[in-house]
Amino acid sequence: MNRKALVSVAVMLVLPQLSFAQEAPPQQADDHASATNSERVWKFSWDNRPSLRYGDLLRIDFRARLTGDLRRSEASLRDTDTSRFDIARRRIGVSGEIGGVADFQVERELAHARPWRDVYVDYHRFNGVRIQAGQFKLPFGLDENTSSANLDFVYRSRAAELSPGRDPGVMVHGRAGVLRYEAGMFAHDGDNARGNDTVRVSGGRTAAGRLLVQPFRSSTSLLLKDLQAGIAYTSSRVSAGIADLRVDTALGQPFFRPGLAVQGTRSRAGVEMRWRPGPFSVQSEFVRLTSERRGQSIDETDLPPLRADAWYAQGGWVVTGERKAKGGADEPRRPLFRGGAGAVELAARIEAVRLSSSGPGLPSTGPRAEAILPYRDRVLTLGVNWSPNRWVRVQANLVRDRLSMPTAGDFAGGALPERAASSFWSRVVRFRFAM
Amino acid sequence: MSTAVNVRRLIVLVITLTAAASAAAAQTTDDFFAPGTLNDLRLFMNSRDLQELRDTYLENTYYQADMEWRGIRVRSVGIRSRGNASRNPAKPALRVDFNRYVAGQRFLGLSSLMLDNLLQDPSLVREGVTMALFTRLGQPAPRESFVRLFIDDVYQGVYSAIEAIDAAFLERAFGDRSGNVFEYQWQSEFHGEYLGESLEPYKVRFKPENHELEADATLYAPLHDLFQEVNRENSPTWRESVDRYLDVTAFLTHAAVETYVSELDGLLGYWAINNVHVYRPTGSTRHHFIPWDRDQSFQAVDSSVMLRVADNIPMRRLLEYPDLRAYYLQVLETCARVASGGGWMDQEIVSRANLIRDAAYADQRKSNSNEEFEGSIAFLRAFAANRPAIVLAEVAGLRSAP
Repeated sequence: MNRKALVSVAVMLVLPQLSFAQEAPPQQADDHASATNSERVWKFSWDNRPSLRYGDLLRIDFRARLTGDLRRSEASLRDTDTSRFDIARRRIGVSGEIGGVADFQVERELAHARPWRDVYVDYHRFNGVRIQAGQFKLPFGLDENTSSANLDFVYRSRAAELSPGRDPGVMVHGRAGVLRYEAGMFAHDGDNARGNDTVRVSGGRTAAGRLLVQPFRSSTSLLLKDLQAGIAYTSSRVSAGIADLRVDTALGQPFFRPGLAVQGTRSRAGVEMRWRPGPFSVQSEFVRLTSERRGQSIDETDLPPLRADAWYAQGGWVVTGERKAKGGADEPRRPLFRGGAGAVELAARIEAVRLSSSGPGLPSTGPRAEAILPYRDRVLTLGVNWSPNRWVRVQANLVRDRLSMPTAGDFAGGALPERAASSFWSRVVRFRFAM
Repeated sequence: MSTAVNVRRLIVLVITLTAAASAAAAQTTDDFFAPGTLNDLRLFMNSRDLQELRDTYLENTYYQADMEWRGIRVRSVGIRSRGNASRNPAKPALRVDFNRYVAGQRFLGLSSLMLDNLLQDPSLVREGVTMALFTRLGQPAPRESFVRLFIDDVYQGVYSAIEAIDAAFLERAFGDRSGNVFEYQWQSEFHGEYLGESLEPYKVRFKPENHELEADATLYAPLHDLFQEVNRENSPTWRESVDRYLDVTAFLTHAAVETYVSELDGLLGYWAINNVHVYRPTGSTRHHFIPWDRDQSFQAVDSSVMLRVADNIPMRRLLEYPDLRAYYLQVLETCARVASGGGWMDQEIVSRANLIRDAAYADQRKSNSNEEFEGSIAFLRAFAANRPAIVLAEVAGLRSAP
């Protein structure tokens, strides 16, 4: 680990101790709250994070996040200098509540091509119906819609990569008994499907919906209470052009970025489940993205749609016993320097992504291929998460990618695909400070 | 992938390949490039791609297409705009790569084919006649045939289909499929000067057409050594050293043919070296120059056989040796006798012109009028008639000179 990494880690560990020193005792914090409600004067407090209140009219919480990675891989990475400590994210933001009827969040990366992240207002005056407007993640995908602060692994799953991500839009959401719903209309089909290549096309106006059921929500059983399953769907139109779709390895290295001509409806369908009994967690998801290729053949007839499938199954165990549904390892019962060593969690994930088009015609790698032989990545991730306190997290992941792609033999037409496969191990350690 | 899809795909492939194989079995590259042949070649591509190719004809973007010739349909070929000054949106010069999207795919054994739009030659026959003369003089040169090109059944005009300098060419010409081939890339005027120790100046000028993944030292060090040796001080070992890196007699023959046809843009070109490929046999350091893109020949019937010879460093220094100078003059004399013998060159011009006349008249995208086509053919015929005497006279004069 180089000097930059050591300094960063030291800062991450020391900053929270300073914040402990400034943290008001719980009773004192309550006093602040009751006082501000009646007095309507500006008050500053620092509990989990710095916060500014103006009576009961406005609350502004200040947020910051710093993450840094150390990466090594047997495969060549786009960033070939893998020995250095890479500051992956520097993010600041504010969130809060206005007048008890609306929440808001504004978050920005300090060094990123697309700096603005969540920028929205969530109006919740009515029971069971909330209206959210601004830029935020489309309601699709469990892993994609899990805050990066709560991920069990350094990198999201391949299924999350096929999920839309963020875009400006309006969404209605709420809860009705055991059901939770989210439905909205967005400008495009998310930033995950839109690279920096402006020549390539992505989805236009997008409708998205997600329905979740928590059948034992009102149960007193801690074992079943958290069980949740759901489905999601998005639909958008893609104008004629070369699709900006790609398949990346677990560490985000693109291994297949096909220049495939598409036109028509792009849809995503997803199925998800999550169960977090006590210190354990199980989660799984399947995502299918389908992009039509209307009029895209050489003679301008329709080609079979392009299809990308991704799934994962993951499990975790908070060894130190914290309940996963209540913050898990992120909320250690016995933080470091406060009588304990923090929280430790073990996690494992298996997943796969596959991109193909199963037409009857001649397979080729051309942009107007009638049949596209499958490109696959199968990934195993083993992880250890250590949270010395609620602000700092260290995640170590060991990742094995197994790539599989067609070879010349596949196109000769005789034998069934002889495939070129390569597998490699990667390891990544992420240090995160968040407040 | 489901079993049903696999089986369906297998059946389609077997039928496609069987049909293509039986059609192709009766045809070879000899048929495609047979002298006196005007082929109908059809390309099929998405109209959006065709428009984009025309709009961005200065770029090398590939598009997927199907190609058909005499009932042989080659699926999913890659085509792109090609050329330098000849690039044109209305009548694009094209490169067809048969294995761009289907690994290992070939057309009559060819991995690629050039479609020259012939826009720089109002006669449309200069290149064919020049390459025929190279071949008559025993110099390996790409084969070509005239083509009536249709894209999506719309006539695009008369093109020349040119054999790529690939493994199949090397096998035919040199009996060596795996030698190195480089396409010369014009960067600035280069007369064969030594460009220094770094391989970079050679790398930008000599683009590998095969073995692209080999180390730079393997690819370019022999080229570096060639020009280093050529530019060394005179010494008793100079010729022997150069001979290790250059097929000297082939080089002189190449230069003589070019000079005979009064080439403007070749090895001894007006803009220095241009329009050549360089072949290096497997396990050898000896380079051989191959002519390419000769539609600017037949410039002036009275151009000197020593025109620009002094500008080209290897040429100038080789001709300082009396036996090599005699060899060069001998090849020029042979050119004159071959070209005039039985009216060979005139027949080449006339037969080609007759072959394409109707197609050329119907070509609305060519750069010149039908009258200019006929005028240019007449000019070439006059060149063929008068050039031998002019060259022979100058050669005789040079031989008798002290």
